[in-house]
Amino acid sequence: MSTAPIHAANPEELREVRFDAAMESQIAELLTHYPIPRAALLPVLWLCQKRYGWIAPGVMEAVAARLGLSPAYVQGVVTFYTMFHTTPPARFVLQVCTTLSCAVCGAGELLAHLRKRLGIGPGERTPDGTFQIVGVQCLGACGSAPVVQVNDDYYENLDPAKLDALLDELAAAKE
Amino acid sequence: MEPTLLKARGLEGSRTLASYLSRGGYEGLRRALALGPQEVTKSVIDSELRGRGGAGFPTGRKWTFVPKDHPGPRYLVCNADESEPGTFKDREIIEHDPHLVIEGIAIASFAIGAHTAYIYIRGEFVRWANLLEQALGEARREKILGADVLGSGYSLDIWVHRGAGAYICGEETSLLESLEGKRGFPRLKPPFPAVVGAFGKPTVVNNVETLACLPSILTRGPAWFASIGRPRNTGPKLFSVSGHVVRPGVYELPLGVTFREIIFEHCGGIRAGRKLKAFFPGGSSAPVLTAAEVDTKADFDACAEAGTMLGSGGVIVLDETVDMVEAAANLAHFYAHESCGQCTPCREGSDWLVDILHRILAGHGRAEDPDTILRICRFASQGMTICPLGDAFSLPISSIVSKFRDEFERRIAAATPAPPRKHPVLPWAGPRPGFGR
Amino acid sequence: MPKLTIDGREVEVAQGTNLIEAARLAGIAIPYFCYHPYLSVVGQCRICLVEIEGQPRLAIACATPAADGMVVRSQTSSRVREAREAVMEFLLANHPLDCPVCDQAGECLLQDHSMDEQGGQFSTHMVETRRTFPGLERRLLGPHVVQNQNRCIHCSRCIRFTQEISETSQLTYVSRGNHAYIDTFDGRPFDDPFSACAADVCPVGALTLREFRFRKRAWKLRSTPSICPGCSIGCNLWIDHHERIVYRFTPRENPKINATWLCDYGRFLAESLNAHGPAPTFRDEDGSSSSPPLEETVRALALELKAARTLRVVASANLSNEELFLAREIFAGYLHGELVTPVWPGEPRRMKNGHGVWLASSDAHPNANGARRLGLDIVDESGLARFLYGAADLTVLLDPLAHPYLAGEEALQLLRVGHTLVFSQRQHAVCEFARWTMGVASLACNEGTFTSGADQVQRFQAAFAPPRGALPLWQWFTLLARELGLARLAVATPRDVFQLMVSQERSFAGLAWEELGGFDTDSYREHQHVG
Ligand SMILES: Cc1cc2nc3c(=O)[nH]c(=O)nc-3n(C[C@H](O)[C@H](O)[C@H](O)COP(=O)(O)O)c2cc1C
Ligand code: SF4
Ligand code: FES
Ligand code: FES
Repeated sequence: MSTAPIHAANPEELREVRFDAAMESQIAELLTHYPIPRAALLPVLWLCQKRYGWIAPGVMEAVAARLGLSPAYVQGVVTFYTMFHTTPPARFVLQVCTTLSCAVCGAGELLAHLRKRLGIGPGERTPDGTFQIVGVQCLGACGSAPVVQVNDDYYENLDPAKLDALLDELAAAKE
Repeated sequence: MEPTLLKARGLEGSRTLASYLSRGGYEGLRRALALGPQEVTKSVIDSELRGRGGAGFPTGRKWTFVPKDHPGPRYLVCNADESEPGTFKDREIIEHDPHLVIEGIAIASFAIGAHTAYIYIRGEFVRWANLLEQALGEARREKILGADVLGSGYSLDIWVHRGAGAYICGEETSLLESLEGKRGFPRLKPPFPAVVGAFGKPTVVNNVETLACLPSILTRGPAWFASIGRPRNTGPKLFSVSGHVVRPGVYELPLGVTFREIIFEHCGGIRAGRKLKAFFPGGSSAPVLTAAEVDTKADFDACAEAGTMLGSGGVIVLDETVDMVEAAANLAHFYAHESCGQCTPCREGSDWLVDILHRILAGHGRAEDPDTILRICRFASQGMTICPLGDAFSLPISSIVSKFRDEFERRIAAATPAPPRKHPVLPWAGPRPGFGR
Repeated sequence: MPKLTIDGREVEVAQGTNLIEAARLAGIAIPYFCYHPYLSVVGQCRICLVEIEGQPRLAIACATPAADGMVVRSQTSSRVREAREAVMEFLLANHPLDCPVCDQAGECLLQDHSMDEQGGQFSTHMVETRRTFPGLERRLLGPHVVQNQNRCIHCSRCIRFTQEISETSQLTYVSRGNHAYIDTFDGRPFDDPFSACAADVCPVGALTLREFRFRKRAWKLRSTPSICPGCSIGCNLWIDHHERIVYRFTPRENPKINATWLCDYGRFLAESLNAHGPAPTFRDEDGSSSSPPLEETVRALALELKAARTLRVVASANLSNEELFLAREIFAGYLHGELVTPVWPGEPRRMKNGHGVWLASSDAHPNANGARRLGLDIVDESGLARFLYGAADLTVLLDPLAHPYLAGEEALQLLRVGHTLVFSQRQHAVCEFARWTMGVASLACNEGTFTSGADQVQRFQAAFAPPRGALPLWQWFTLLARELGLARLAVATPRDVFQLMVSQERSFAGLAWEELGGFDTDSYREHQHVG
């Protein structure tokens, strides 16, 4: 099973966001988990990121209105955490762990290889919007270092050859 | 030792409720419900179980801090944030045996009188959050959870709450803030969560592994648990071993094995026939130990005696090729990246350390740098900060400088850029997406 | 009531008092940045560390409640001194240290504490390139607040202000750690009605006010306690002035009314205090005008007033209690004129007091309640129109700004019918045809009391003497009283007027002038150290 690509809604579509019935019912369900609506903020943001691919300002506003928070507050929370995309992500976000165990087990090699193969480094994306590299901190899988998380999925015990195979597979599956 | 926590590893279909029940699953919960909260707490106290999340606080005692007569709800939170570098044991339990965690949560919740529990799991663990959701679904369907737990009349809901990328949210009060929909800023203590926790109510936060110990304490008895290891350091422990060992991975061993046994017997020694240089015994926040200290026992008290800590049991093994200045720089970068930024010494100190270490690596070290590093570490720890993240970088980094000072001095004396490596050992993580403007 | 010792001084404080406040009562200043008496305690800056006997670690004074028998060491502990020095060094590590060009200099807590904790070295061992926020060094955050993020010390006071006090939650941290910065949602304007308070609470020069920046060095300013003229709530403030120019209002602490806040509307009325009435002008029937000297003016006024067969007087709820009292005694009592006080609700204003309760304005005047207390005839717009419609051969306007109706076409037409005498702080359409225009000095030169919306009589002081030609209104009245032979009212100071009121008015009985300040009571605190 290969990793599914992210479909990021374009910024125009997210200028003003109205949740549809399906979203509303999921939000309503999430609210039952907590004694206060604000506590549903992270889960609702996750829902939005899944739905729209990223958290545009319009999404923050809609979430704020739904949970009775100020948009600035929501923005403060969104940007505290590293996993919410505040710009439209590429279809595949390659999150390369760079912390100690991965670093001593070849994370640098992976990054060098990615630079060679895709021509990009951490913080950059390929011009066609297929790949984006993000250097991340320990992914909690150090025993199988080096580790790359692609979108939601972990790929462990990687080396340049396995990475190549993975990139081929992803590039092929992107449509 | 026969595995308790990793019993399911390698079994076909081990994640299913059926498999769990066939292994005597939920028997511990059944016993707990029959014993009553007080007795359950007493068993856990007698077992001498200490928290596996990092601080090693006696679990049963922590439960007794919850005010007995407090009106209104109270909560149990399972800490599945697992973000300490070098730690990947909770993921292993969830991967193979999610019901073990759920049973542990149910027992603890019952003991403290909570009717709602949350599993706070790090945002990156999408797969493991889903595995937990599936298992919870099964348990709800089979009336193991819900309004009438196993027909006892006790009600319990468990919800999975995903983080979104922040190491600091493993710290229990930051976790609670995050659970409440806020930025993960650790809270001032006191009050402690057991008194004022989630949503202002008494709350116990326990690590996944801690909770996973509970079912067997109830089925096999506290004496059995206490017979493993030595007094005050009892029970089986998961060691996550990573770095330059032949067989990295998660090992379930009795507390009190030596790091020599862990590294050289269980993990097959150092890769490529190289020599051990240093290791972090309990995640990257524990002061480093050198090869000469490899006979230290892997338990809470022995590690404390050796001037370090067992922490989460994440053993990061470094061989002789590792440049300790680079290792320090890598860790400093991690902590600066993860500092919540609330308090001055941690926010400024962690970033400052990165600057100094990167400057040394770039060949512009100054003679006073090691002392400046030690000074920063001294004043970013020991109660100077709100939460222990200040200590979490100060202690390991100052230990690296103290124990490998010659490496720093050589680098500084050479004062030229280090010879370029084929591949940088320490990649630069680059800017965060959405971080900055 | 816990009794404790701080640096060897014993002090007894109320239950729940934190160590910063307890030390203050003992006369000891513990430094702080993130603590603010009216905001939540977050314990972020760590400068307030103290040593408590029996505790192995230093504790933060802001989050430690005083306990009985506690022995606290602040300045007398070398551990504390060392720790604070380190915290200062951390704070300055990335601070631009641009005090010479920073407008906060002189009222900057960072500067102050650097003097105290580092012996004025303003230094750090840091030799690295400082972290900066390109694009955020000089940014207009909203209509009033200018941001320089490089100077921010991450105390979060401004954010907490918008979350806890103004309740707009317009400010937030964006990002985290050392790279976090203060921003509004999606860069939208920071138009919180209390936005300038964010600059007040900012202990450094990260948030400053567009209106005040670079107009005057803080140490040149003198502060005079006064009351906001903007509405009936009666917020306490300081008039900050230098060489007879008012530069700004800053909040003056009063837990019952405005804690340490001012709304932007009231705050930016400060400029208006620099207008001090036109010089006394007499306009003859033929349209020619002259400016006779003061004594002559007063003499002529008295004659006009005495000569009038029907006299009507429009007072104003902007006048002090003393002025209203004199007006009533002179114009209604002695001269038998008809006197009304127009009151206008104006835009609704609100203010949160120190107990978290919102107060709402009832009138657009600082002293409508004073007029009510004195039993004056209060009229609304239609009442005022009816009053002016009635015939009289002399109309006296004590303040053309008493009601916006007075600037309208209808009122001007009605006033043109007879003779008009006007006392005015500013040029006004009425002055163009009034027979007499008397220049009145602004609130900055006035002294007296206002009665707040909550019926509290509050005193304000004069910041400086009025410029030539303009007098505070009370002084015009006492001069007139002397001229009219009313010796009883021809007193020398507003305080004397107040004493008359205390002895004569039931509603003012028992009040003591000295106790109406708020500025010399326990709650007094220099504004720099609260803001
Ligand atoms: C910076 C920091 C990070 C932490 N991260 C984790 C973590 O990822 N998982 C965890 O279980 N505990 C973590 N802890 C420890 C928790 O604060 C808390 O002590 C623990 O969850 C309590 O559970 P236990 O008593 O079962 O060990 C962390 C502590 C600190 C200071
Ligand atoms: S020590 Fe660091 S992580 Fe902990 S509260 Fe302070 S700034 Fe945040
Ligand atoms: S260091 Fe890479 S997963 Fe932990
Ligand atoms: S004033 Fe106490 S920590 Fe800031």
